[in-house]
Amino acid sequence: MTLTFIMVTLFIAGILSWVCENRWRGSAKWCALLVLTLLATVFCIFVVTANHNFESLTVLSRVSWIDTFNIEYSIGLDQLSIVLIALTWLLAIICVLVSWQEIKHKAGFYYFNLLATIAGIIGVFVAVDMFLFFFFWEVMLLPMTAIIAIWGHENRHFAALKFFIFTQVSSLLMLVAIIATGYFHLLQTGELSFYYLDWLSLNLPLSLSQYLMIGFFIAFAVKLPSVPVHSWLPDAHTQAPTAGSVLLAGVLLKTGAYGLIRFVIFLFPEASAQFAPIAATLAVVSIVYGAKMAFAQHDFKRLVAYSSISHMGFVMLALFAFNDIAFQGAIVTMIAHGLSSAALFSLAGMIYQRIHSRSLADMGGFWQSAPRMGGFALVFAGAAFGLPGLANFIGEFFSLIGAFQTLPIFAVIAAFGLIGSAIYGMVLFQTSFQGLAKQEIIDLAPRELMICSTLFLMLLVIGLYPSLLLKFSFGA
Amino acid sequence: MMMVTAANTHASLSLDVIQTILPQLIVAFGIALALILVAWRRSQRTIVLFTAGVLTTALIASVNLLAIQPTVVTQLLKVDSNSAFAFSLVLVVALTSLHMSYQFLKNHIEVHDEYYLLLMLLVLGAGVLVTSHHFASLFLGFELLSISLVGLVGYHRESNYSVESGFKYLVLSASASSFMLLGIAFIYSVTGTMSFDANLPNDIYHQQNLRLFFELGILLFISGIAFKLSIAPFHFWTPDVYQGAPTPVTSLMATVSKIAMFVVLVKCVIAQRYMLHGNLQLLLIVLAIASMLIGNVLALKQSNLKRLIAYSSIAHMGYLLIVVIVISGESLAFTWQSVLFYLSAYVVANISLFLVVASLQTQCLTGDRVVKHYQEEPVLNDLQGLFWRTPSYGLLVILAILSLAGIPLTMGFIGKFYILSQATIAHAWWLIITLIVGSGISLAYYLPIIFKLFEVEPEGGNEVKKLERAVIEKVLVYSFIIIGLVFGVFPDVVSQFIVS
Repeated sequence: MTLTFIMVTLFIAGILSWVCENRWRGSAKWCALLVLTLLATVFCIFVVTANHNFESLTVLSRVSWIDTFNIEYSIGLDQLSIVLIALTWLLAIICVLVSWQEIKHKAGFYYFNLLATIAGIIGVFVAVDMFLFFFFWEVMLLPMTAIIAIWGHENRHFAALKFFIFTQVSSLLMLVAIIATGYFHLLQTGELSFYYLDWLSLNLPLSLSQYLMIGFFIAFAVKLPSVPVHSWLPDAHTQAPTAGSVLLAGVLLKTGAYGLIRFVIFLFPEASAQFAPIAATLAVVSIVYGAKMAFAQHDFKRLVAYSSISHMGFVMLALFAFNDIAFQGAIVTMIAHGLSSAALFSLAGMIYQRIHSRSLADMGGFWQSAPRMGGFALVFAGAAFGLPGLANFIGEFFSLIGAFQTLPIFAVIAAFGLIGSAIYGMVLFQTSFQGLAKQEIIDLAPRELMICSTLFLMLLVIGLYPSLLLKFSFGA
Repeated sequence: MMMVTAANTHASLSLDVIQTILPQLIVAFGIALALILVAWRRSQRTIVLFTAGVLTTALIASVNLLAIQPTVVTQLLKVDSNSAFAFSLVLVVALTSLHMSYQFLKNHIEVHDEYYLLLMLLVLGAGVLVTSHHFASLFLGFELLSISLVGLVGYHRESNYSVESGFKYLVLSASASSFMLLGIAFIYSVTGTMSFDANLPNDIYHQQNLRLFFELGILLFISGIAFKLSIAPFHFWTPDVYQGAPTPVTSLMATVSKIAMFVVLVKCVIAQRYMLHGNLQLLLIVLAIASMLIGNVLALKQSNLKRLIAYSSIAHMGYLLIVVIVISGESLAFTWQSVLFYLSAYVVANISLFLVVASLQTQCLTGDRVVKHYQEEPVLNDLQGLFWRTPSYGLLVILAILSLAGIPLTMGFIGKFYILSQATIAHAWWLIITLIVGSGISLAYYLPIIFKLFEVEPEGGNEVKKLERAVIEKVLVYSFIIIGLVFGVFPDVVSQFIVS
């Protein structure tokens, strides 16, 4: 009930802030910030006071929705979704803060879209019915596409279109797989069902499940993204406004990883074990290719975007290694990448606001005029290349150790990705903050300082005390 | 045999039976009355109000029939809940189109009684088609529909395209119906019956000596229907005629005629069990795949909104054809449900789009002066910034486009879900793949329309375009928004009407 309340309130608050903005200019951001903080608190209180430990998927409400297809509105939580929703809340608040001065044009509608996206993302993490999951999966795309298409940079329409077509086509494949599994359930038990827990008890023959698995896998691989279906990501990330990039890199990519865990690996364990070599190959290619491409970029945001491909490759490699350590590593990497890429994109947004360019060629020597910003940039670049003491290190270390046990060769090649990440991380930092001072910029404002230090603190806490996350089993 | 006929004749007289075809009777009677009305008093307003009254009464009568048991009325017609639903849909669309027509025609000094007569004839034709149970009534309905459409297509005489599109439609439509007639004759020559209820023995489909005749008959018959449904490769007239006809007429062509023809196609295929014939299935598969691909690809480069909708309608008929291809004897109710749901989604989306297009065309420019003007060619750029100008219209277009693209929250998605379910059950993987590819391509022209709505209008345009909005139009716009959203999120509301 609480979760439904949260999602509905987010949506209504979106409309409210739109209306408010029309009445009082500049009120939408306050409205959005207030609602997000309140709802995040409500969510925390709900999780802490609930009398479940959420070790396995706990269904919280289940109402029939579309009787024709026996589709239910059923939502539930487990540790994995709780952690990801917590990340969503944090980044959502940061999104509002980074948009604070960036968004002037049609601000009311912007915050409506932002809140609707967040409602959709939370829906994806809590849906237990597969149809409902697909519903949220698509619904979160619409406002996200609008954010890119309306408030993005110069090439925004193309980027939004590409983003939408990639995800839409791949998710139609997933829809076919969902329908096919539902009807297989009908054949086997005599009842059509899209209920996830029903599906878990389904006895799928391998010959069928490998095709179904691929249907799901493609949809999530596009979202993750993995080579060769990654090409929407650099465009979408680069063209989106800062908050859009933060949300895309921070949370939307994680929905792909979440889907891989929950629907590919848990539903089709045999088929995914069989598929593991291919998935691992794709993962390793993504890691190395992403790092290589990141190194070659001249655009700050594009560089970070390619680094995302590289990092999410680690997640995929770890997931298909099928052991507990790697699994833990994958989850830590997801959270760590969510924080660090969000931090780098926020930084890109801050620089863009000052010099109105994303090109690394226009940057250089910012350390002199903005040492605080430089310090944070160094730390975040360090986090991106896995500096010990920060969260990414734990995640990648665990992923590689776990992967080495089952896929040693892949793990060895993937480790080269770490070297690549050190190179592009340093390139990013050096060209923007060191060298000759090309321009003078203003140092961080208090609001920006707050964004950066929150993210830094989170990275540091997880990096130094990973048991915070590792103590949960995440249903492994 | 004699006794059955006698019983039928007797039944046709009873009040109950008359009640089942009451909607059609009301429209037919309305047409006759309208003729008298025209003789008595020529006034634009009167005839519009009269037509609206007739259509509304027919709609009420038709909605009452939604839960009816299948009833055969003479040999020609058979009313069941599916046909009642389809006809209700036709009437709703006709009412909306009537409003658009009035907005379009009211500025003319001339009184256009015959336009409204033709409109009612068109509705009657559709009413006969959806209830037809015999090739004779099918042909009757088909011709009523075609001939009144020909009149309507060329109606706007001042338009540059009226002659071209009218003629194009006339010639092609006439040849399509003659092909169909020949096809019916061939089929009759093999089966010896024109009724849909003949319960033909299976071996009739496999007789070697008659096979070619029969196949040829079906081919000709299907091509006649495919012409009306603008299924590729019978689609060439569609963009030109859509573009050239007045927008209210285009909306009728895109909706009423599609509903009626598709319903009758499904009826034929189910009743005559053509599906036992492997070659027909192959033919339909080729038609469906061609329509999905050709429609979507050709829509990509259109800047004229009506042409774009025309091409997208070709693709949609291709999607819907999948349901016909995978028909199986066991789940006819589900087939009907899929077809009718998809048709309603398609029709609601189309009529919403045309509603906006029509009011964009008849918009008035308010600057220093108020100028009424009619814009012949609605182009994509006219939509620029519509969402900021008039949010309700913008929202309506967004919903309609999303519905056509099959994105959740809209009816179109549920419709696509129905089709994909059908195809998955039948393991029609190639059709599914084509559908996915087609929807992928379609996004490349649907989304730019939405982006256009959000674009900021060019600064410095001194003529602020504001949409003129009558109260009825507001009501229509809001009700279509609500219909689109509510039925998209709670499709059971619609499905429960369709479940027979």
